[in-house]
Parts: sequence; C-alpha cells; structure tokens
Amino acid sequence: MQIIFDSLVRSSEIALLAVGLTMVYSVLRFPNFSHVEFAPLGAYLALFGAVSVGAPLWLSAVVAVPLAGIAGIATDRIVFAKLRDRSPIMLMIAAFAAGLVIRQILRALWGPSPKSYPIGLQDPLAFLGGTVTPIQVAIILAALACLAIFHGLLTYTKLGIAMRAAADNANLAQASGIHTERVIRWVWFIGSGFAGLGGIFLGMDTQIHPMMGFGIIIPVFCAAILGGIGSPYGAILGALVVGFAENVGMAINFSWLYSAFGVANDGFVFVPASYKPAIPFAFLILFLLLRPQGLVGRRSK
Amino acid sequence: MIDYLVYLLTIVGIWGILSLSLNLQYGLTGLVNLGHIAFFMLGAYISTILVMVVGTGYVVGFVGGMAAAALFGALIALPTAHLQQDYWAISTLAAAEIARLIFKNETIGGTYQGGPYGFSGIPQPLKDVLGPEMYGWFYLGLTLVLAAAAYLVLQWLLNMPFGRALKAMREGDDVPLALGKNVRSLRIRAMALGGGVAGLAGALYAHFNAFIDPTYFLPLETFLVWAMVILGGAGNYLGALLGALIVQLIYNSTRFLTGVVPLDADTLGSLRMIAIGVLIILVIHYLPRGLVPERPRRYAGTARNKQAEGGQHVRTSPSQG
Repeated sequence: MQIIFDSLVRSSEIALLAVGLTMVYSVLRFPNFSHVEFAPLGAYLALFGAVSVGAPLWLSAVVAVPLAGIAGIATDRIVFAKLRDRSPIMLMIAAFAAGLVIRQILRALWGPSPKSYPIGLQDPLAFLGGTVTPIQVAIILAALACLAIFHGLLTYTKLGIAMRAAADNANLAQASGIHTERVIRWVWFIGSGFAGLGGIFLGMDTQIHPMMGFGIIIPVFCAAILGGIGSPYGAILGALVVGFAENVGMAINFSWLYSAFGVANDGFVFVPASYKPAIPFAFLILFLLLRPQGLVGRRSK
Repeated sequence: MIDYLVYLLTIVGIWGILSLSLNLQYGLTGLVNLGHIAFFMLGAYISTILVMVVGTGYVVGFVGGMAAAALFGALIALPTAHLQQDYWAISTLAAAEIARLIFKNETIGGTYQGGPYGFSGIPQPLKDVLGPEMYGWFYLGLTLVLAAAAYLVLQWLLNMPFGRALKAMREGDDVPLALGKNVRSLRIRAMALGGGVAGLAGALYAHFNAFIDPTYFLPLETFLVWAMVILGGAGNYLGALLGALIVQLIYNSTRFLTGVVPLDADTLGSLRMIAIGVLIILVIHYLPRGLVPERPRRYAGTARNKQAEGGQHVRTSPSQG
C-alpha cells in the first residue's frame, strides 16, 4: 500500500511537468530541455511569497504559478521566437543553454543550499495499511484537478482545439486560420505554469534546491516519450508508469532471475537503493528501443 | 602566475581534445551526442583503475581508457542507430547518467577507492624523475603533443572517403545510402572513434588532476563541450580548439575575479555559467556558424554549395509525412 501512495505522489509531480513538455514538444518540435527549470522557478517564487513577503503558502502558490507561466512566455520570446525555422538540434542546444541560465540565476539569487517551505513536520495519517501526509493527499488531489481542468480546456474550448490542431500539424493549423504564435504563447504559459506547480509540490514533498528541475529531467522526458510525444493523456499515463516503476522496481525481489541463470544468491536480491535514479533512465532507453512511437502514440516511423 | 598559465593551457589542451572529438561526432557526422562526458569519464576511470589498482604502465592505462571509451561509443550506437535525432540525443544523455551512477555506486580496490569518494592520489607519469617544478611544463607539453596528434589525425580523416561519407550523412541518410554506404556502420564507427579520442582526454585529465570523483562528470560538462563546438564553429576542427580556449577562459575567470568584485565564490560560480549560457544563445542567434565557420568544399564544375551552413541540417519530420 505504501508503494502505491509513494508512486501516486511521484506520478502527480512528474505528470504536471510531462504534460507541459509534451505540448511544447509537439507544437514546436524540439525537446525543450529548459522546461524542467520552471519547476524550481515556481518553487522559489512561492517560497519568496511565503517567507519573504509572509503571505500564506497557498496564496503564494496561486501567484507563483501564473508568474512561472509568464516566465515561460518570456523565455520563448527571448530565446526561441527567432529560431522557429532552425533545426531541432540548434533549438535543443539553445534550450540546454536557456535552462542553464534559469537554473544558475535561481542559484545566484537563493544560494545553492536546499530550502523548505514553512509547513512544519507533517503528521502522517495511517490509511489502508500505509502512511500518507495531508500534503501528499493534497498534491494528488490538486494534480488531478489541474489535469481535469486541462482536459476540459483541450476538449471544450476554442483555444484547446487550436492547441490540438497545432500539435497535430502546425502548418495545416496555420493554413486553416489558427493564429499559431498565439497558440504557442498559450502552450508556453500553461506548460510552464504546470511545471511551476509541479515544482511547488515537489518542494512541499521534499526540498527546494536549484537542481530540483534538472534532477528530474529524465523521469519527465521518460513519461512524455512513454506517452507518445504530443499526447497529454499519454504523458499522464507515462507519468504513472514511471512513478510506479521507480518505486515498484525497488520492491521486486529478483532472486528468481538469479536462480534462473544459476547464479548463487541468498534468496533476497533487490535493486540497491542507490540505483533508484537509474530505473527511469534504463526504462527510457529500453522503451525507445522497443516502442519509439509511445504507449498510445500515433507517431509513425 | 606562470604556473597558473601553464595549468590553464593544459586544461585548455585536454578540453580541446574533448571538443575535437565532439566535433567529429556532431560537427561532421551530425550526431547529437548529449552524453559525451561519459567517454571522458570512462577514459579517466579505466586508466586510473588500470594504473592504480591493476598496476599496469601508463601507456596501457591510456590505451585501455581509450579502448573502453571507444567500446562504450560503439555500444551506445549499436542498438540506437535507427532512432531519430531528438530521441537519440535523450537516450545518450540517459546512457551517460547510468554509466556515472555505476561509477558512483561501485567501489573498486581497497578502502575509499572509487564510489562516491572517488580516487585520490592518482599516480602521475614521470613525476619522481622530473620533480614538481618541471612537472607542469612536462604535462603541458604532453597534452599539447597529444592534442596536436588528435587534430592531425582527425583533419586527415576529413579528406579520406570515410570523412566524406560522414559529412554526407550529416545532411541526411539518403545520400550515403544512395552511394551504397552502410549508414549504421558509419554511425557506429563515428561514435567509437570520437569516444576513443574523448577517452584519451579523460585519461590525460585523471593523471593531471590526480583526483577524480563522480561529480566531475555531470551532464553540465557535456554542455560545456557543446558550447565549445558551437562557439568555435561546428564542422571546423580549428574552431573547436578556439571554442575550448574561450569557454575555458570564461570558466576559469572567476579565480581572477574573486577579491576584485564584491561577490562570494558561489555567486561568481553561477555568474560564469550564466555568461556561458547567454553566450551560446547569442551565438546561436547571431553567429549560427560559429567563429570559424566550416569551409564549404568546392567541387569541380559545380557552383558553391550553399547548403553547407553550420547546424542547418536537413531533417525530415516523420510526423508531418
């Protein structure tokens, strides 16, 4: 049970980042390595509001999320708007550079040491044989709510339909009268805002530090690719798979595998905890090799 | 001051070799390798382990490090050769991090060797004979000779059929395929060759610094090598060396600035990275072909090939097809 809670919390955080990544990826057609940096940006902005200004944390978060979104639009204007017709490789390197700049600005402003929100220690609640903190419950519920709102936006609003059209085929969307640049701005705003929110959650669940975005770049990319680039629902599914793979992978006893190959063992063979970060990495590579179009993807080869 | 200059030039030489090797993979072949630091790391670790733990000579250590890095390059390229550029880039990043995690978690040899503690007291060739004063100069010479050798070999390959096939591949798979080249094999060979050269840089670095640990080989270092190649001009080996010089000068400038500007070392450390990041974005915006652009090759009887613009590769997006 504990594994399921932990995995759900992790999946919620990854999903918020992966949804934005997959949208930017599909509209602009390059892997945006700077996307994950909006997580620490949102987290630090909320920290600034909660500690330096003294506002309640929820209010700081509500202000920080759109600010992260605006920072996303600004990044696009400054760095990427002039590069629309360049090769994805150049955009990828520019994104790497932009991410580095954002990360180092945060580090210069707030210092390299980890910080925490003033929420104190959480009393874990016993629930169905596991323990979970109220914050973690709130994270899961809030992530679900955000994704539901996003689903509504995509399905029922004109903007959402334009977004899906641009994700499908930007040229065709432009030809049918969709103002692509405006859609791109919204995609950046929503994507970066979601990433900021994911960062705030991540900071509440663990700690806030400048590397927190870059540290989860592979799980997030893994979720987006697992889901098939351009599919927000796929990204959510991918986030669930990655979240569970990380936690379940640690809990599986691989003794049978050793025995099957005739390797002597004491009956308890687990992936060492220090290799936990390697699970999404290995998963990603294996997945790219076996099914590059994604779990539910339609991207033809 | 002179000592520091010797140190700086040695570092520039080592990173110059690294940037030459990435230039072969990216500038020439168009392979977006975001895990380049893994080759450097393998060269450093394998040479250290061979010399320190196994007890072989330095030549065996260096060659072993290069071979391990080359093998790793071929291993990455082998199963992933059919992937698209962007996916390929992400999988190289992931592969490099897995390799780093292995070195971070496995201890080798006696107490406190390898693992998160790294290796300290890595032996240095001829240190006892030459004494500490001469040593900096000796190592600088060794580095520059090896860097020059790497430059000459790679430049020579450029004009061989192999080098031309790699350049053709950069512009898309169709041309080399039409000429009957085995694209997959070319890609694997480019990764192995570039990996081997980067491994040499790694071995040089390990025995120069006398200490390595896993935090030396973060993805950020790969970005620095990219910055060198992009700044210098992708496809041009001289540019790659120039890029290494400029980036290392910015990177090491904080040593001179501490005390001059009223900022602590941490903030300065961030500022130099911001400077490098901004520089790269500016170069991509305004100088996409780098400081020393690749010279377009002139063919008899044809007009100047305008396609040879650095970084602007032909790429067909399958999702639009």
